[in-house]
Amino acid sequence: MIELFHVTKRFGDELAVDDVSLKIAKGDFCALVGTSGCGKSTTLRMINRLLEHTEGRISLDGQAIRDFDAVQLRRRIGYVIQSTGLFPHWTVARNIGLVPRLLKWPSAKVHARVEELMDLLGLPEEEFAHKFPHQLSGGQAQRVGVARALAADPDILLMDEPFGALDPITREKLQEELRALQARLHKTIVFVTHDIDEALQLANHLVVMRAGRVVQQGTPLELLHKPADKFVESMLGGVERGLKQAGLARVADHMLPLGSTLPAESRVPGSMTLRQALSVMLRDHTERLTVVDPHERPVGELSMRKLIRESKADQGHQREH
Amino acid sequence: MSTKSATHNARSPWQLGIPLVWLSLLGLAVTGMAQLEGVFRLFEPDVRSVIYSRVDFSLLLGRHLFVVAIAALVTITVGLAAGIAVTRNKGRDFLPLVSQLASIGQTFPPVAVLALAVPVLGFGTLPIIVALMLYGLLPIVRNTLTGLQEVDAGIKEAAQAMGMTSGQILRQVELPMAAPVILAGIRTSVTINIATAALGATVGASNLGDPIIAGIVNGNTAYVVQGALLIGLLALSVDSTFEQVQRRLKAY
Repeated sequence: MIELFHVTKRFGDELAVDDVSLKIAKGDFCALVGTSGCGKSTTLRMINRLLEHTEGRISLDGQAIRDFDAVQLRRRIGYVIQSTGLFPHWTVARNIGLVPRLLKWPSAKVHARVEELMDLLGLPEEEFAHKFPHQLSGGQAQRVGVARALAADPDILLMDEPFGALDPITREKLQEELRALQARLHKTIVFVTHDIDEALQLANHLVVMRAGRVVQQGTPLELLHKPADKFVESMLGGVERGLKQAGLARVADHMLPLGSTLPAESRVPGSMTLRQALSVMLRDHTERLTVVDPHERPVGELSMRKLIRESKADQGHQREH
Repeated sequence: MSTKSATHNARSPWQLGIPLVWLSLLGLAVTGMAQLEGVFRLFEPDVRSVIYSRVDFSLLLGRHLFVVAIAALVTITVGLAAGIAVTRNKGRDFLPLVSQLASIGQTFPPVAVLALAVPVLGFGTLPIIVALMLYGLLPIVRNTLTGLQEVDAGIKEAAQAMGMTSGQILRQVELPMAAPVILAGIRTSVTINIATAALGATVGASNLGDPIIAGIVNGNTAYVVQGALLIGLLALSVDSTFEQVQRRLKAY
């Protein structure tokens, strides 16, 4: 668990982070979002003491990070940055094995761990182990960056816009893989991004920052339902908020059982997001869709009317809180 | 580290051979200069001796190398240490001062250094070593600074964030990454000093400059050509050896 109590960071007279308090539970995927210069990266970099906080207290599992030796602390925390920061004069395998070697693991154990991680991140060992970073594509290099961060099996992973420099297709693929990875590994992840879609897709704890302060935090749905102010609302996509919310829901969770009426002609898989299903409705000029399982068998039906009634009920439910 | 991918396009036997060619030519010239008497007779048909024979050429070559090597050892040590010191957090304030001092060292003509050093250090080898040290410092300091400053900030940050100590970052990341640039500085410094060391002959340091000075004093062009030939071949041998080392370093 990572806790920040009234943390402030000043660079000279400039206030970069202003009285931020956060509690990031073990296994949380916490995304810090905000515009450039809002202090999200600064907040992240204070956690592994690349920057020292000016005031307040930061603790890991209840122990203040200032009580640790900074170098030892960093070896326990994974770190991934946009530019990857891979050492260009080292091979992929050597880059990944960096932290285990710093921790003086025996070399057979380092080797086994590097192999395991390359497998985990879809980098075939015989093909990539001896390559140098400049021989990799952007997506491959960032996989190596993630593997290096995970090498010593840290509980905490800090990621500073890790996918920001990738093309949209590669980015989406890596986001998907990160989500799958997190489902298996249950790390505590703090993830900085200015891409709200990325944050909504990945995080279960969203922190919106502005001018060094936390404006609002909560689950993605809480923020989408009830943005605290105009800034959060525009951060979350303004009038397109409804679509963003639909992007978080799966068709299978909102379908009706197959009715007595004729099934609709347009078919969608249950694993699709509601947002994609709505797009199919618009494309096919229909307000009803047949939901199919992976074997193309109809299992239910999705109705626009039902969805609208559902979201009204949802909002009423939210207001009562 | 893998040598499979690192070497396939970096070296061919032909390139490796270049330093060997210059070295063998140098060896031949040192041992067999007398065989070329007929050629040098063309330069000076009238003088009694056309082959410089006051001191053996191999001895002159040895002394020449000694002076250059001592100067290089000191300049590399001082230059690297200064370059590293002023790029650390604690020494950053001295960065402008050090780069200016190194520049002054090079703008000061070596002849003037010799003239100033002789009254203090006396005649012989010492003043020329001092002159070479001052003269050869700039390329090393400048390239060490450039090489270290060019290391990508993201890479240094990542190294720090992974939990490397500043010593580990310097040794395992910064210096290896800066090595090609630093080596280029050392190459320039040493090559220039091989030529400049010949000036030592004017203040009584015996080296490959001797035949040149003797030739000028006695009006014997053949002597001058012999000294110049040997210095040229030595410079080419050393320079091409450095080039090979640089190629290997850049092979990643």
